[in-house]
This record gives sequence, structure tokens and C-alpha cells, in this order.
Amino acid sequence: MEIKDLKALIKLVTDTDITEFEMESAEEKIVIKRGKGQEVIHVAAPVAQAAPVSAPPVAGAAPAPAAESAAAAAADEKYDIITSPIVGTFYRSPAPDADPYLDVGSIVDKGDVFCIVEAMKLMNEIEAEFKCKVVEILKENAQPVEFGDPLFKVERL
Amino acid sequence: MSSKSARKEILALFHQRGDDFVSGAQISRALGVSRTAIWKQIEALRKLGYDIEAVTSRGYRLRATPDTLLPGAIQAGLQTTLIGRDIVYLESTDSTNQHAYTLGESGAVEGTTVIADFQSGGKGRLGRRWCSPAGVNFYGSILVRPVIPSYCAPRLTFVSAVAVAEAIQASSGLPARVKWPNDVLIGGRKVAGLLNEMSAETERIHFVVFGIGVNLNMDAEQFPPDLRYPATSLRIELGRSVSRVAFARELLQQLDHWYRLYLQDGIAPVLARWQELFDLMDQQVEIETPQGPLRGVVAGLDEDGALLLRLPSGARERILAGDVRPLAGKE
Repeated sequence: MEIKDLKALIKLVTDTDITEFEMESAEEKIVIKRGKGQEVIHVAAPVAQAAPVSAPPVAGAAPAPAAESAAAAAADEKYDIITSPIVGTFYRSPAPDADPYLDVGSIVDKGDVFCIVEAMKLMNEIEAEFKCKVVEILKENAQPVEFGDPLFKVERL
Repeated sequence: MSSKSARKEILALFHQRGDDFVSGAQISRALGVSRTAIWKQIEALRKLGYDIEAVTSRGYRLRATPDTLLPGAIQAGLQTTLIGRDIVYLESTDSTNQHAYTLGESGAVEGTTVIADFQSGGKGRLGRRWCSPAGVNFYGSILVRPVIPSYCAPRLTFVSAVAVAEAIQASSGLPARVKWPNDVLIGGRKVAGLLNEMSAETERIHFVVFGIGVNLNMDAEQFPPDLRYPATSLRIELGRSVSRVAFARELLQQLDHWYRLYLQDGIAPVLARWQELFDLMDQQVEIETPQGPLRGVVAGLDEDGALLLRLPSGARERILAGDVRPLAGKE
């Protein structure tokens, strides 16, 4: 299931009085349980043999579907994925000899910079849109990234 | 008499006198207006950056004609529809890009332009510095809010590169050339550096800042000794100074033209002009990419502006970031 569908599903459930929801298909099993003021969502991983179910890779310059499947593939039950808005080069620090903006475990406030993605001397500082903790850094410094590539796995705080 | 023509006549009187004082009474007689009115116009001229000394019983003396990049001076006769409607002038700042970015975050309108006389932290790629002494050059950042998908934003790099090269040609007659993606060179020496910054989400651009530094009247000894790339200024090339105000106005007009053309017709006409201004076609170059150096022959531009490099193996490589350096000798 794609992230946006999952989001829609969660909203559907939380808009009702249902406290527990379970759904199973050939590829995945989804369980949503609601506690006091807290939602617990569990998505069982797709079976290993299955290639990403949705969206075949798209050639050319309008890569939105590929972006979603990449994000979905890297997503986990309670994590958000920060993706690249442009094709370019991923930098973890403002300069080669500077400290990285953050490391695994860093707490990032809204508006803090995650990284820079550069394309043709357009520098795009990727900023946090919510407070979170960095769980995993998904790209190496100075590596090329595609539009929509997952860059960071974060836990919303 | 309008205020503007009054000021013009006052300036003419100053020029006749050279370094001498002109009394308030003399100006008043020449213009046929009261001394209070004269005083008002002197104040207005000072706001425009004219350095006018006033000494009791002697009168006024023009110490220096400004070539200060004051908004009023640049906007006088400025023919743009978007760019430079709001100009913020700073005598000193860390980085005009930084200032414009902050303005962008607080909702400044498209076309807002930040110009500084001096930058303490002028920046380049990868934390590099842009040498920014006071009183001689142009350091400016222009905020735009294009309604285009974020992944198209790197194309704007070519918009400002073409605008800067055209502005240099128009105001100096010198043959400005571009180096991929957006340095501007004269005779193989760097005369302008451009660095754009974007604030965006995946779907939507909040704003882009065009950062532009142009070496106008800098002398050779003002360049730092450890330059990464040979540099020059318009003054060094021409053997005389250029007007910073006139250059700034020309640049904003060029940017206005090329940016609106891009919004209207897409990147193709901009890239076509860029390629006319590019003289490394079919040349051997070395590119310092983030993944390491690459040598090859420049094979052209891809339709999104990526540089196509033909490697010795015959393979083609698409370059999205890196410093291009021409190698002596052809293939």
C-alpha cells in the first residue's frame, strides 16, 4: 500500500469511533489500533520476493510516481521519510570541511536544515517541516540523488 | 520648477564650481527659489548618496558624486515589471543571499532585491567565499517566486547566467562568456559568480534567491592570493571604472527580461542564448565533480541544462554539479 493510501486509511479509521482495524491482502497486513490519545499502526512488510507493488519506474523528467514508491519502500510503521525535491548532489554539511548538519540520533526542530541538495549551482537546503529525530541517513555524502529519493528516515516528535 | 530639475541644476552648479563652495544665496538666485527650498533639495540629494558638505557662511560643496547603489538611484529610469520593485540597500551585511532568504521566509514580494556595498561572508559553492570588498563591486540577491515544480528550479541557473553576461556586455562592450553552469568570464577569467538558493517542498517552490556577485571596479591587488580560478574585473579589462548604479540597473533589467521569458516560453530560448555565450564546446575539460574528477570533451547541454561530457571511453556522462576547468590543447 502506498503511503498516501495508508494515510487516507488512517484518517478514515480515526474519523470514526473504531478502536481497532485489521486488513489483510496477498502482499500485506495492516493493523491500526487506537489507544488513549494515541494511534498505533502496524504494517507488516511485504513478502521479500515482491518487487515494489506500485508504480513502475518512470523515465523522463516527471518522476512523481517513482518518488512515491521509493518513499513507500523505505517507510516503516512509525517513521517519516524525507525525500529530495530535485535531482542533484546530496551534501550533509555546508562545506566539505564543516561538521555535518546532523547525525543519526539528532533531534531536529522545525525549520532546521537536514542537508543540501545541489543541482547546477542551485542550492536547496532541505528544512524540517516538523520536529523529529533522525533514525537513519539513507544516502552517502556527495552522492547523486534523484527526484523523490529518500534521504532521511525520521521519527516525528 | 520640479524637484528633479532643481536637483539637476544644483548639481550643474556644483560641477561648474569644482572643489569650491557655492553659497545658498547663489543657488537661490540661479534657480529662482527660496533658500529653504534649496536646503530641501540638498537634503534630497544627500539621500540619493551625494556627499554634500555644508559650512555656515560659505555654502555648499559637492565632495563626491555617489556611485552608491542606493535604491532611488537604481530605480531612476529602471524599466522592469517584476525585478527590483523593492530594493533593500545595506552598507554591510554577512551575505545578501542570507538576507534575501530571510526576507523570503517573511513573505517579501517577488522581485525584491537586496544589494550590499560590502559582504563579510559572501558565499560560493560548498562553503567557499566570494571576495566582497566595499565600494567597488556589485553584490546582490534577487528573490523570485516562480510557480513551477521544484524539480524545474535548477533551470533558473541559466536565467541569471545569461542575464549577467548580457548586462556585462551591454554596460562595458566586453565579450562576456559563460562557463557551465553559471560563472561569467572575460578572456577566460572569472568576472562574476552566481549562487542560487531555493526554499521548497517536494511539490512547491516557496522562493528562489538569485545570488549575483560581479567584479566591477576592483583592482588586481584586491583579489586574494589563493584564488581557485583566475579572476578579473571590468575595470581591469577596460582600464577605467564603470558606474555601479548603471550596471545594477542594466542587470535588473536583463534579469527581468530573461526571467519573464523563461516563465512565458520555457527554458529553451534561455539555453539557446546561453549556448551562444558558451565557448568551451568541443573542448577538453576537467570537471571536479562531487564524486571525483572527470576528464572529457564537452559535447553540449542536455535539454534540462545538464552538461554532456564525452569520456575517453566514448561514453556520455550527464553532469549536474561540478567545477569545469578547460584543459590546454584540443582533443
